[in-house]
Amino acid sequence: MLFSSIPFLYFFLPCVLVLYFAVPKCLKNGVLMLVSLFFYAWGEPKYVFLMAATIIIGYVTGILIEKFKGKALSKAFLAVSVIVDLGFLAYFKYADFFISNFNAATGLSLPLLRIALPIGISFYTFQILSYSIDVYRGDVPAQKNPINLAAYVTMFPQLIAGPIVRYSDIAKQLENRTHSFEKISEGIRRFVLGLAKKILIANTLGELCDVFRSTNEKAVLYYWLYAVAFALHIYFDFSGYSDMAIGLGKIFGFDFLENFNYPFISSTVTEFWRRWHMSLGSWFRDYVYIPLGGNRVSKAKWFFNIFVVWLLTGFWHGAAWNFIVWGLFFAVLLVLEKLFLKKFLEKTKIIKRIYIALAVLVSFVIFNATDMAEAIEYVGAMFGAGNMPIVNAEMFYYLKSYAVVLVLAAVGSTPVVKTAAMRLYNGKNTGRVMNVLEPVVLVGLLIVMTAYLVDGSFNPFLYFRF
Amino acid sequence: MKNKLKNIIVTVSFAALIFGLSVSFLLKPPAEFSDSERRALLQFPTLSVNSVLSGKFMSDFESYTLDQFPLRDGFRTVKALVSKHIFNQQDNNGIYVHDGYAAAMEYPLNSDSITNAANKFNFIKQKYLNETNSIYLSLIPDKNFFLAKESGRLSLDYEKLVKQLCEEMQDEKYIDIFPLLSIDDYYKTDTHWKQENIDDVAEKLLDEMETQADFSSLTENTLDVPFYGVYYGQSALPLDAEEIKYFTSDMIDSFEVYDHQNGNPMKVYDMEKAQGKDPYEMFLSGSLSLITINNPKALNDKNLVVFRDSFGSSIAPLLATGYSKVTVVDIRYIQSSVLDRFVDFENSDVLFLYSTLVLNNSETLK
Repeated sequence: MLFSSIPFLYFFLPCVLVLYFAVPKCLKNGVLMLVSLFFYAWGEPKYVFLMAATIIIGYVTGILIEKFKGKALSKAFLAVSVIVDLGFLAYFKYADFFISNFNAATGLSLPLLRIALPIGISFYTFQILSYSIDVYRGDVPAQKNPINLAAYVTMFPQLIAGPIVRYSDIAKQLENRTHSFEKISEGIRRFVLGLAKKILIANTLGELCDVFRSTNEKAVLYYWLYAVAFALHIYFDFSGYSDMAIGLGKIFGFDFLENFNYPFISSTVTEFWRRWHMSLGSWFRDYVYIPLGGNRVSKAKWFFNIFVVWLLTGFWHGAAWNFIVWGLFFAVLLVLEKLFLKKFLEKTKIIKRIYIALAVLVSFVIFNATDMAEAIEYVGAMFGAGNMPIVNAEMFYYLKSYAVVLVLAAVGSTPVVKTAAMRLYNGKNTGRVMNVLEPVVLVGLLIVMTAYLVDGSFNPFLYFRF
Repeated sequence: MKNKLKNIIVTVSFAALIFGLSVSFLLKPPAEFSDSERRALLQFPTLSVNSVLSGKFMSDFESYTLDQFPLRDGFRTVKALVSKHIFNQQDNNGIYVHDGYAAAMEYPLNSDSITNAANKFNFIKQKYLNETNSIYLSLIPDKNFFLAKESGRLSLDYEKLVKQLCEEMQDEKYIDIFPLLSIDDYYKTDTHWKQENIDDVAEKLLDEMETQADFSSLTENTLDVPFYGVYYGQSALPLDAEEIKYFTSDMIDSFEVYDHQNGNPMKVYDMEKAQGKDPYEMFLSGSLSLITINNPKALNDKNLVVFRDSFGSSIAPLLATGYSKVTVVDIRYIQSSVLDRFVDFENSDVLFLYSTLVLNNSETLK
């Protein structure tokens, strides 16, 4: 089920709110778990059993890891948990990728499994892995109550598209959390703004990307328009979803960590990845990069570690070569920055902006390509390959038609709006006006978004496929 | 306002909206038909183990909620207004309004579709027609032809379209009616042209097909039903109702019209359909595959076979004034391969009269 859908907003959410706030505290996690399973089963009725198996294995191995702490068996049970979880992920997400590449390399024609990807498997696998590893490391105690653990893994606000909430971050909140009008209204505000980012900006820019991809009337600057539109689209799509998840979490008393921090204002790729999909970046840092030795090793090993992490980051996003190349593209830039580029860029004002814009735009064109051939074609066309006109009438038409949304998105991707809003809130007179306006704007936005949902069906979430 | 009060107001207003609309949904009896979109609305989907396990129930349920949402048309209008006036989007779902005219931004030219149409027409020519037939082709521009340039929208390359079709269809005479038409000849809220404005087009076609008709005795009548065309619903923007006008004359009144699809005699103007969901269907009862119009007051014994789309419904009665018999064929609803069972082509004039909209989306031609 999508957050940005009529069934979620007007059926699921009202029912869940009534149920959740009607039951006593001791039953709240149970209610969260049950409604989350329903939420997941709505989109993936068959795969709910796979997720249940993942949770059961995580629960049992967690207890055993803790029970045999300090002994070899503890490590063995951690290995079982990791192998089973990654095994599920490998089978359901990557099997066909491996088979097709094996076929290509050997000339064989092993049949593909053609398994439908379970929604959100990459997210909940990483969550349960973090739980098992944290228990092994002794960072958190094993959860004795299976309902609490299941509530953590299945919690619908973050179940299918993140952020990747660590068990250690909400372990205490699972046992004891508070609910208040303050927290609920903060959650509503965050949810509605996230929904607006998704429906009004991301979906609209997604239409522009679709128009570009389906047309035969391409031009060089049209490719650039597409690259800009897609970069903003994916940012508003994913950060909007994260906002909705964080907002819903607050309504139910949880404080999830932030997932985005205005990545497009970055000056370097290093900074960009500190601001983009922060929960994934920190996951790889804590569970892969640092265990490999991080930067406290020789330079060669350090760079090797960076390449491993970014190969895995790319591969996490999808079972295709363009995702791997996308990850490695960042690895190369990160290594170059560590070698000399960062120091050089720090001395410049304009060049670093051009550099990060180019890096981000090119990377997302590679990311959104259907395969490597298309990635090469698109990136080449952006730089004049392909014998195309510089501009054409279609590009001008769509530039005009989407100009307002593009400008809104560009401005909205910086802290300008938030800073201005905070100034108004903090002003003596303007603060009062803002307080009166806020509920009106939120309800107005919700009505407009409902109108967008009722009118159309163009509403896919990009990060579901991960 | 204190923060505490604001937090309560935010929470209550959010809850009031989502609970209010969900309760209204549950209390509202399901609608069966959308007048603005002219389509049946989805009803509650079948619930079964199979439909749930396959996910079909869930996807059908979502479509059902979209179709049956309270104040649906109002919400669609809100979306169209926001898209147009706030986001300055140039079209809403491919429909735009310029100078009060709603039009579809038909773009780009689909050359494969034009070839497909040419192949269908060539098949008919090769299978049924011979030297006893005079073959004509005429194309009707869609509204975008008139509006696109001045409104800055994209449009087909009409010159290329005509050239391609003429080249791929050989041995026919092309009758260019583009110069006779302007945007005023079309309904503001609908795809189609107005019958009361196309007598000159009919005259030109008849003239080029070497037959004549006298249109001086035509009487213009106005339907007493407000007309909201197909783009009214699709644009979801507030547009004024229009009038449908239609010509009658002693000759037209004497026409004997037969619907071969249903095996019924019928009228030139179907007053039952005029009161229905799409009043434009009053012209030859809308989408019928095969109709014959016999003209007992004809000044000659010539026959005409018209291959047409819905634009043909309103002009066919005018063309019939110049012929003894007109057979009106819509190959979107009948297979081209079986026409010889119903149509006598011998010694007939044959006119392929199609709108550029259908030609550019010709997969519907059979």
